[in-house]
Amino acid sequence: MKILIVEDEPELSKSIEAYLKSEHYICEVAKDYAAALNKVDAHEYDCILLDIALPDGNGLSILKEIKSNRRTDGIIIISARNSIDDRINGLNLGADDYLPKPFHLSEMSARVSAVIRRRKLGGNSLILFNELSIDTKAKEIFVHTTRLELTKKEFQLLLYFVVNKGKVISKNAIAQHLWGDDMSSADNFDFIYTHIKNLRKKLQDAGSGDYLKAIYGMGYKLTAT
Amino acid sequence: MKLEAKYQRATFVAVLFVLLLTATSYYILIYNALINQLDESLKVEEQEITNFVNVNKYLPEESHFSDQQIDFDSTDKIVSRKFISSKIYSKEEKELELIRQLIFTVKVKDAYYIATVSKPQSETEDLLILILLNTAGVILFLFVVLFIANRIFIKKLWQPFYIMLHQMKEFNLARPGKLAMVGTKIEEFTALEEAWTNLTKKINKDYETLKSFVDNASHEMQTPLAIVNSKLDLLIQDSHLTKDNVLHLQSMYDAINKLTRLNQSLLLLAKIEYDQFPGKQEVDLNELIKQRLIGLEELIQGRKLQVTTNLSAMKVLMHPQLADMLVSNLLINAIRHNIPGGNIYIEGNEEHFSIQNTGEANELNRHTVFNRFQKHSQSDGVGLGLAIVKQICETHHFLVIYAFNNGIHHFELTLKT
Repeated sequence: MKILIVEDEPELSKSIEAYLKSEHYICEVAKDYAAALNKVDAHEYDCILLDIALPDGNGLSILKEIKSNRRTDGIIIISARNSIDDRINGLNLGADDYLPKPFHLSEMSARVSAVIRRRKLGGNSLILFNELSIDTKAKEIFVHTTRLELTKKEFQLLLYFVVNKGKVISKNAIAQHLWGDDMSSADNFDFIYTHIKNLRKKLQDAGSGDYLKAIYGMGYKLTAT
Repeated sequence: MKLEAKYQRATFVAVLFVLLLTATSYYILIYNALINQLDESLKVEEQEITNFVNVNKYLPEESHFSDQQIDFDSTDKIVSRKFISSKIYSKEEKELELIRQLIFTVKVKDAYYIATVSKPQSETEDLLILILLNTAGVILFLFVVLFIANRIFIKKLWQPFYIMLHQMKEFNLARPGKLAMVGTKIEEFTALEEAWTNLTKKINKDYETLKSFVDNASHEMQTPLAIVNSKLDLLIQDSHLTKDNVLHLQSMYDAINKLTRLNQSLLLLAKIEYDQFPGKQEVDLNELIKQRLIGLEELIQGRKLQVTTNLSAMKVLMHPQLADMLVSNLLINAIRHNIPGGNIYIEGNEEHFSIQNTGEANELNRHTVFNRFQKHSQSDGVGLGLAIVKQICETHHFLVIYAFNNGIHHFELTLKT
């Protein structure tokens, strides 16, 4: 899977690149409008992470360029402006998602994965992880052939872990993913613990291995072993 | 007091003063002229009497007509000749009548007589009344004419001013419209218009600068935050971190998180303050509250809070994002500052929206509770939630008050003012 990162801030693009590469994506980076336009003209990408505020042009023009050529590249807008107007504007122009800065890399990775599933695989893909299979369209998770009875949040949480498998996900990132901006107080991390506990129990009851690992003081990780 | 009323009053006082002064001086002048004339005719009588005595060597007969009376009284000494005004009782008119008299001495053979010639002075009285009536009439007439003239004239004269005043009242930074030229030839108003045009140009320019500053500040701060956040996300993947390292990293996460929220809240406040949320729609707060309560379910359950709602339709004209922000901030405030196992009561209808919650035992300072960065020491919020609530209420002309009663903190919004 090939990803293009269009971001003028090198430190941020390095982080994104490092994280995505460790998830076995092939990454290319464009640091300005001209470079981005060149790359987009030359190649097709499975997903493009597009910062719309570039020093030499508006990222939305690149979006228009891609869409006018009827291409299927998935596009996620990265923006420092978390405004409804910007969001609606971008999505109307054909972007798949809108990710306001600052974001967690795990969140970004989950969004990339979702966009690729939707764009490239028609949303019909099953995500497989050992004995787990996740049907993202029907929002169902099976352990072997046993269907798990999960709440909406438990489903979101497990999917989030599976697409970020092998990565430590901070409690802040989990809280942000499940509750958005509402849930930011430190004392609310207890709810994460409760959800993880319930999820782990449901997985084990259905005969799954214990893959969810608590990382002391930091967060959780889904490990294959 | 209106300009016109003030002007009318000043004019009336001036007119009244001038006319009264004129009337008084008229009266004095004419009175004196008439008295002089009267005295002249008395002198003629005197001359006739003297001539008569010189020729005939006896006194003429006394006469008592209503317009002239002549009396003689014998005397043993010469009195000096004098004019006097006095009052006598008139039998015909049964009242005191003002008369003018000339008293002089007549010598017949060797005897002296005091001659008194009297003429009524009532004509001067009539004149006085006439002048007063006339003056009063003129004053009244002038007042009416001046009032109408001033009214029309002032209205016309100040019209450019009122046009400009209207424009100033309608002036809105968020929707800068082209100023209509007033088209006046009055120097003061042209100067005012010029000053006003320059002022609005400057304000609009400053406002634009500020707006782009807010936008840029958002961009410039979010990107470094994103970098730090992403570096932390990479750092925690390291399996060689010690327990201490991990605790430091978590503190950094929390600080970044707080900084992010602080930045977003400040930008939001600035945006609301500068009216950058055009496009109000009908929003049902009732629906919004129900949705948000579902979203906050875990927070509520986590603190074992009991939420009681009594809501009917609450349709208000608001920007949807601001409506959401208003409801969220009030709910989160009621949850965050509650006590474990406490209560939240939410009531709302078309006019009012009130949230009450149990909480700390002491009353908050009602003067500062909505101020920025006004927060309780135990709170881990950034202290802008209620400031945002207040700001949103102000831009929508809602009234929001805080009250405290028996350990219940009460936030009450009046939606229709």
